[in-house]
Amino acid sequence: MPDQLARLYDDHAQPLFAFLLNFTRNEDDTREVLQEIFVKLARQPDLLRSAHNERAFLIRLAHNAAIDHMRRRGTRARRDDEFSAESLQAFAPTSDPDEAAFRAGLTAALVEVPPDQRAVVHLKLWEGLTFEEIAEALEIPPNTAASRYRYGLDKLRERLRPLYEEIK
Amino acid sequence: MNDDFEQHLRRQPMREIPRTWRAEILAAANPAPRKSHWWVLLSTFNLNPSTSLRWGTLAAVWVVIFALHHSTRDASPVVQAKYTPPSPQMILVLREQKELLAELEQSGEIPQADRPKPVQPRPQSQRREETVTV
Repeated sequence: MPDQLARLYDDHAQPLFAFLLNFTRNEDDTREVLQEIFVKLARQPDLLRSAHNERAFLIRLAHNAAIDHMRRRGTRARRDDEFSAESLQAFAPTSDPDEAAFRAGLTAALVEVPPDQRAVVHLKLWEGLTFEEIAEALEIPPNTAASRYRYGLDKLRERLRPLYEEIK
Repeated sequence: MNDDFEQHLRRQPMREIPRTWRAEILAAANPAPRKSHWWVLLSTFNLNPSTSLRWGTLAAVWVVIFALHHSTRDASPVVQAKYTPPSPQMILVLREQKELLAELEQSGEIPQADRPKPVQPRPQSQRREETVTV
């Protein structure tokens, strides 16, 4: 099982990390939820046996675990989240100042997108999943996934238009 | 603008997962077993799926317990002394004392314990005078 767990980590930890970081907006929460997922996989080795799409199954696990985690933390921690989101680095650093400004603006704009829309936007843009795959991962109808994507993207466009026009 | 904007967003690379997390998370998911003498034996009994090994371990423990108990009992001089039979002279003396006691009981020579004398009530005034005199 340790080998299998290491293989799962190497194959899926990076996209799960990106998804969780974008969803929770907090690196400590991301770390805790990611560890929670792998502890669960170690304790229940048969969990993945029934999954026909490993990635979608793990994203569903991560999504549910992140929601539970944020509920457990409650409203008391939301102020801390807002504070840490300001210093969060969700995207890779770059030496290009325009791109760096755009990534910082994108990170800030994503905070303003509701979590359910943000999850869909992330999976569509940065995981390249189809709406059917997103629907399976998040346990929502495909039409709901598509509409959440449109709403989320519109918010980002509205917020980032000035920056985008500058660097275009 | 829609397609360009979406494409531009897609090209933004996400941050990489910290390298140290791999070892930490995998270690947390697969904690190393702790090595201690009695714990190893106990965990073997509890966690090993082989039933015959479990019963073998239990039987070995009982054999050790019986062996220790038996060797301790045989070797103890205190226990041996406690069970030494009395000498024939001592038996004779005890028998004589028993017969003497039986004779005394039959003859009624055993003195009865003195019964307490009944207390006669006296007038209150007299009792007070005695107290004053004393």
